[in-house]
Amino acid sequence: MKDTLGRIIELAVQKFGAEYVEARAQKLHKTMLTIKEEKVEAAKEGIENGVALRVLINGAWGFASVGSFDAEVLEEAVSNACKMAKAASLKLKNPIKLAEGKAIEDRVQVKPKKKPSEIPIENKIKTTLTIAKNALEYDGSVKSCTIDYLDMIGVNYFMNSEGTYIEQDKLYVWSRVLATAKKGDVYTFSREEVGSTAGYEVFDVETPEVVGERVAKRAVDQLKAKPPKGGSFPVVLGPNVVGVFVHEAFGHLAEADLTLSGSVLMDKLGKKVASEVVTIYDDGTIEGAFGSFKYDDEGVPAQKTLLVKDGVVVGLMHNKETAKKFNTQSTGNARAEDFRVEPIIRMRNTFMAPRDYSFEELIEDIKFGYYFKSFRGGQANLDGTFQVGIQEGYEIVKGEIGKPVRNASISGNTLETLHKVDAVGKDFELWPGRCGKGQTAFVCDGGPHIRVLEVIVGGSA
Amino acid sequence: MAALKEEELVSLAEFAVKSALKRGADEAETFAYEGLTTTVAIERGQIAKSSRIIDRGLGIRTIVNKTVGFSYTNILTGKKVIEETVLKALKAAKASKPDKDWQGFPTRKSFAQVKNTFDEAICELSPEDLVKTASLMLEACEKTDKRVFPVEGGAGASYLARAIANSNGVAGFDRGTVVECSLATIAQESGEITPICFEFDAERLYRIDPEWVGAEAARQAASALKSKRVETKSMKVVFAHFALQQLLYYTLMDAVKADYVQRNQSALQGKIGEKVASEIVTIYDDGLLDGGLRTWKFDGEGVPQQKTTVIERGMLRSYLYDNYAAKKEGKESTGNAFRAGYLSTPRIEATNFHIVPGKKSPEELIGEIEEGLIVYSVQGAHSSNPASGEFSVVATPAWKIEKGKIAHAVKGAMLAGNIFDALKNLTALANNERKVGQLVAPWVLVENVKVIGK
Repeated sequence: MKDTLGRIIELAVQKFGAEYVEARAQKLHKTMLTIKEEKVEAAKEGIENGVALRVLINGAWGFASVGSFDAEVLEEAVSNACKMAKAASLKLKNPIKLAEGKAIEDRVQVKPKKKPSEIPIENKIKTTLTIAKNALEYDGSVKSCTIDYLDMIGVNYFMNSEGTYIEQDKLYVWSRVLATAKKGDVYTFSREEVGSTAGYEVFDVETPEVVGERVAKRAVDQLKAKPPKGGSFPVVLGPNVVGVFVHEAFGHLAEADLTLSGSVLMDKLGKKVASEVVTIYDDGTIEGAFGSFKYDDEGVPAQKTLLVKDGVVVGLMHNKETAKKFNTQSTGNARAEDFRVEPIIRMRNTFMAPRDYSFEELIEDIKFGYYFKSFRGGQANLDGTFQVGIQEGYEIVKGEIGKPVRNASISGNTLETLHKVDAVGKDFELWPGRCGKGQTAFVCDGGPHIRVLEVIVGGSA
Repeated sequence: MAALKEEELVSLAEFAVKSALKRGADEAETFAYEGLTTTVAIERGQIAKSSRIIDRGLGIRTIVNKTVGFSYTNILTGKKVIEETVLKALKAAKASKPDKDWQGFPTRKSFAQVKNTFDEAICELSPEDLVKTASLMLEACEKTDKRVFPVEGGAGASYLARAIANSNGVAGFDRGTVVECSLATIAQESGEITPICFEFDAERLYRIDPEWVGAEAARQAASALKSKRVETKSMKVVFAHFALQQLLYYTLMDAVKADYVQRNQSALQGKIGEKVASEIVTIYDDGLLDGGLRTWKFDGEGVPQQKTTVIERGMLRSYLYDNYAAKKEGKESTGNAFRAGYLSTPRIEATNFHIVPGKKSPEELIGEIEEGLIVYSVQGAHSSNPASGEFSVVATPAWKIEKGKIAHAVKGAMLAGNIFDALKNLTALANNERKVGQLVAPWVLVENVKVIGK
């Protein structure tokens, strides 16, 4: 592969005058299952092999993607990419420049305890069916259970015109479990995800019994829940909700491409944007976590990036292009979902750092508010407006956890809300998830429990 | 690489089916796909990127003793790789468990006639042509208002082809084109940043209007400045195209899927013939809509697409079916099996979900509102409860309507409620229908929506 990619890069530089070239080849094997109740809808396997070619000519990007390793096809593709770049440069105002990288040669191997490719598909079916069985048998009101299972194993080959060549094993194990419950006219819905880059051993911790019961219990408990009151309230957020809040409401604004696009963090570097108890990291180096990798898709080593330190923005997430604009180095956040798409700035494992409060201390002073434990989706806007849907929440009444509420969501402005974080817990959890930004990226989000003095709670009661 | 010929794609699909039967499958089906896409991208105010993406592959479903195995490959060169893919599908089937409800693949029917889904002119668009389209859009945006910044967007042209073959003798080929341009904008003034505003135009034939897109995206962003909070109360809300598409996609469009109904996940279960919306609401799922973005001769398993009445003057008439869900009830598929290219087995999705428009102009619709909101987009629709239809979203961008006129932009208002109540409180439809993803609909007016302001 090294020779094939080398020749293509040579061609782009010599024949087309490319300023920078990178070639990413992918060999990938996927196994997937869809389970509905206790039935296997389909057992699926597939291969996705191909090459992505990206060139910078006259300060503009050209990109081509093909599902082939054939030398002739790749030559045609790279010449396409160069033509694309030249066309794109026709109306260019500010030529793109890249932060320089160090030349790296490496071979990254993963060593799972349980390699997904060595686990027979029968075992994977048994694991997922056991999750479904545990969910459905938890209570008669549980009406459906849908499970998607995916494992991906393969190798990414990366080469660029700066002399970097990396072969990196890829391994992901993921499952999403959805359960619904029904009683009379009340329908409830609950979601759980499992995800790891370590290996199939993730199911030794997140066992089918644990996951099945957790997803079902939430759906059943929500049957008794009432919609929350709409309005502004003090809230305590659990690690799972803190994670999605940090990711959606803050993290996206700190992706340097979006910062440059005019997010509310523009011109905030070095300034206080949160109360001093808030410290936020994006860390690509946590072993086995769903958002971890050794090198990103521009061949830059992943790192632990400090974004907010004691309330002050100290860093952003960069690729080579935005790093140049900020006169800094890439943080290793350039990720591409596969060979069909270009790398863009994505988060890895994003979390708020824990401090010193116990859960009891967080809730004891709240006369009336809400405890939001688990989220169902979230989204943010460049102006800092965020929304996080809640799939598990409770009232807090006179310092104690009260009745459950369902279909709540919280909203507000990110920076206003970060200033209202007045206490941060000492516990810590990291949850796997998937993030969409045109492409899908596997990530983790997390943190401790936190208290927020005021957010808008969307409720219909 | 040029596009594969019809015979090439169909013969690959037929070869895979034959190969699967020869190796012991009881039944087999192949869906082959090819997509050739050229795009140019706008990033932070300028065109700086272009790409050419060639993606093709095929997916094979094999049935052995009522178990379903599926395998796909994106490498189509040589019979060996197809045969290997067949073997993987068979292996997956043999490892799986029988499904007693499996009643076979669809049988052969003549495919539907479709209009205006392919345009040679789109296939011939060069990156330079698309740069021109994107520039027209950018210039129109810049000309409209200096406070507006075009954040991202672009122009793209795609050629898409699909072939199907199964062991019941179904065999077919269809091809289509899509051209689109889009622009996301924000406006900034004295420290205020607006939320993202977005406009686009997508068509099957080469007739898009990039200048309109650019100007409209700029107009929205500029008028989203000087936003104010609103009081918490129930009021009339006009849902514009995107907001309606986002809300319905995660609620009503799921609730009418037959598998959701059969699996007790739909609040519309058992409600055929009942009133589920106000009587001015009529919705078709029209897989044959002239120039529709989801119009094809056949669906993802080779069933002819069709026009299905979903809601007729407020009464629920039909759910949407694929072959499996239909046979479970002794019915015929409504041609709603959807495929994500060659990568997946089919699932039920709406085609062109068409809400029949009304007679009022958008101005008349707004003109009759004493106090209300107009919402262009919502944030967080994907966190709705798909089973119950309950939603709790942020309206952004949105504007306050006072005494029949747009009064000011609204900051951070939330909307909470249930989509099925909203359908019953839908009291007017405008005449400005357009295509947004699966939805084809006009602006709609819903009364009594809970708005949470401050």
